[in-house]
Amino acid sequence: MLEQQLINGLTLGVIYALIAVGYSMVYGVIELINFAHGEIYMFGAFFCATFITVLGVPFFPAIAMAMLCCGCLGVLLDIIAYRPLRKAPRLAALITAIGMSIFLQNLAMIIWGSRPRPFPQEALPTFFRETAFSFSGVHLSWLQVFIFALTIVLMISLNLVITKTKTGTAMRALAQNQKAAALMGINVNRVISFTFLIGSSLGAVAGILVSVFYNTMYPTMGYNAGVKAFSAAVLGGIGSVPGAMIGGIVLGVAEALGAGYISSLYRDGIAYAVLIAVILFKPTGFLGKSVRQKA
Amino acid sequence: MSKRLFSVLVAALAVALFAAPSFAASVKIAVAAPFTGAAAPYGDNVKAGVQIKVDEINAAGGINGNKLEVVWMDEQCDPKEAATVAPKIAQDKSILAVVGHVCSSAHLAALPNYVRAGVAAISPTATNVAISEKNQDRAGKVWSFRNVYRDDFQGVFMARYAKNMLGLNSVAVFYENNDYGIGLKDAFSAEAKKIGLNVVGEEAYVKGAQDFAPQLTKFRAANPEGIFISGYYGEGALIASQAKQLGMDVVKLGGEGLDNVDYIKLARDAAEKTYVAVPFIEDVASPEAKQFIEKFKATYKRDADYMSVNAYDATGIVAEAIAKGGADREKVREAMAGFNASNPYMGIGGKTVFDEKGDCEKPAFVKMVIDGKFAAAPKQMN
Repeated sequence: MLEQQLINGLTLGVIYALIAVGYSMVYGVIELINFAHGEIYMFGAFFCATFITVLGVPFFPAIAMAMLCCGCLGVLLDIIAYRPLRKAPRLAALITAIGMSIFLQNLAMIIWGSRPRPFPQEALPTFFRETAFSFSGVHLSWLQVFIFALTIVLMISLNLVITKTKTGTAMRALAQNQKAAALMGINVNRVISFTFLIGSSLGAVAGILVSVFYNTMYPTMGYNAGVKAFSAAVLGGIGSVPGAMIGGIVLGVAEALGAGYISSLYRDGIAYAVLIAVILFKPTGFLGKSVRQKA
Repeated sequence: MSKRLFSVLVAALAVALFAAPSFAASVKIAVAAPFTGAAAPYGDNVKAGVQIKVDEINAAGGINGNKLEVVWMDEQCDPKEAATVAPKIAQDKSILAVVGHVCSSAHLAALPNYVRAGVAAISPTATNVAISEKNQDRAGKVWSFRNVYRDDFQGVFMARYAKNMLGLNSVAVFYENNDYGIGLKDAFSAEAKKIGLNVVGEEAYVKGAQDFAPQLTKFRAANPEGIFISGYYGEGALIASQAKQLGMDVVKLGGEGLDNVDYIKLARDAAEKTYVAVPFIEDVASPEAKQFIEKFKATYKRDADYMSVNAYDATGIVAEAIAKGGADREKVREAMAGFNASNPYMGIGGKTVFDEKGDCEKPAFVKMVIDGKFAAAPKQMN
């Protein structure tokens, strides 16, 4: 039972991690908690399903297209909602983010209706539903294997982008000191747009994987996932990309174990209890660095 | 405003004035249901049932020559929303009665307003037991009625069905943490204990929960033959499909909350072997009901379910009560309470007879999922 619970938790955890990375990247670069990130995740699922059912695109290209669309949506969000407030007090941007979250939720309801919808399963490879491993009562489906594999690939590529490319270096520079980075000739707005592009497209993948895994998607699905992923980001140390990954996995496993061994009614409570404990005893999270207050 | 436009307006107004007298006035009822949000599909079903009945009444000349008008009130099945919608209804004195609410939690939240203001409500779908305890004013008058059975009846019914008809020996129980889920679960578990159906565990979840793997993993260790789902179809479908993913080949049982075609769409092949208690099935319907079902299909391009049938009848009950009581809330209530054993309301869903608590007895039927479709279960229980 413990092994199965760990696998349940890991599946949940890697998905939290994928969403949390988007939060953390945006926070790292412009110190904004993008509360509309959960809605980008939801749009990812709906975009992917729409490309499959309306345009007849096969599953894997549809993922790529949804990633691109959500990436652009993220950039658009930044340009419309956050860029005009760049110099405003941080609270203003935060409230705008919550407003955008509500707006996007209702937009999705207008476009796709409020009923929960199944993901177009006919487009998925048939082996997804088959059991990959089954030993001593532990079940692991190919879909779960695919979720783990895709997440690992995406995380490695993200790390390469951040550490090895020029834009990645610029992102890190911006995270350290925006003014100094601008003085060094970095196009600040372009780098921020790039951050939204990457973060949002990863969020889209998470949304797709979740709705494939559960075969359900609905316009309000982003809210809860968003809050959880935000917690994961804080847990790992907000602003730190590897931290977000670890935070997501820890949160997912804690939730699954808590729901399995303590009480399922308190599963969200358990997740937040872990979060509170970490904030109390290690306010920077697992991998976060304490931020010096800027004068 | 140009002269020409003005004269057109005057002409239009004159036509409207002369056309109006075919109905002296209109009588209003409110329909409170979720038209948006997660439970919107239920609201759609109720709306469709009400609309068909209202159209029929108006086509036949209305109520005592008055046109029947509906005020739609969206409460999203949310107790908070219901508690804001209900005072609006109570304060609008032109509204004579309420059809609603759909969800038990919403109905319970709205109820004090109706009792205080003295406006009768009839719910086509709220099955929670507590409603019958909270619907009287100080004088002992009942203000809330329902033409659907109660959870204690339904829970007991499904426990017996599982044990006696399906031959199950052990079940696990999932319930949504709200008035409907808890009430139904309590009745089911109590009866299961009585008749020797082993309940291996009970797990709660909140609305919108998506991941049930941890609880299912826990249940799997106890190896139950069935899962009783005391909640609505969205989460129910996830429970069914995740049980299958974890290699549990079990029977799924539930109340009328699972009765929605989307349950099958979401759970796919995991929906097979699901048994659902419902107050109405097409197979044993009267000719009038069959006519309604045909009309429903033609209008809405989907199958009618028990919610639409009950909403249709609830509207009929209200209309008849208004016909007797006139434009007086108090008298409308008297007329509604008057549907008793000697004076039953004959609707398409069968007889409705209110007891002194505003409840009614209705037979339950069992639907099951076979080959991706809901059908009447071959074994019905009396």
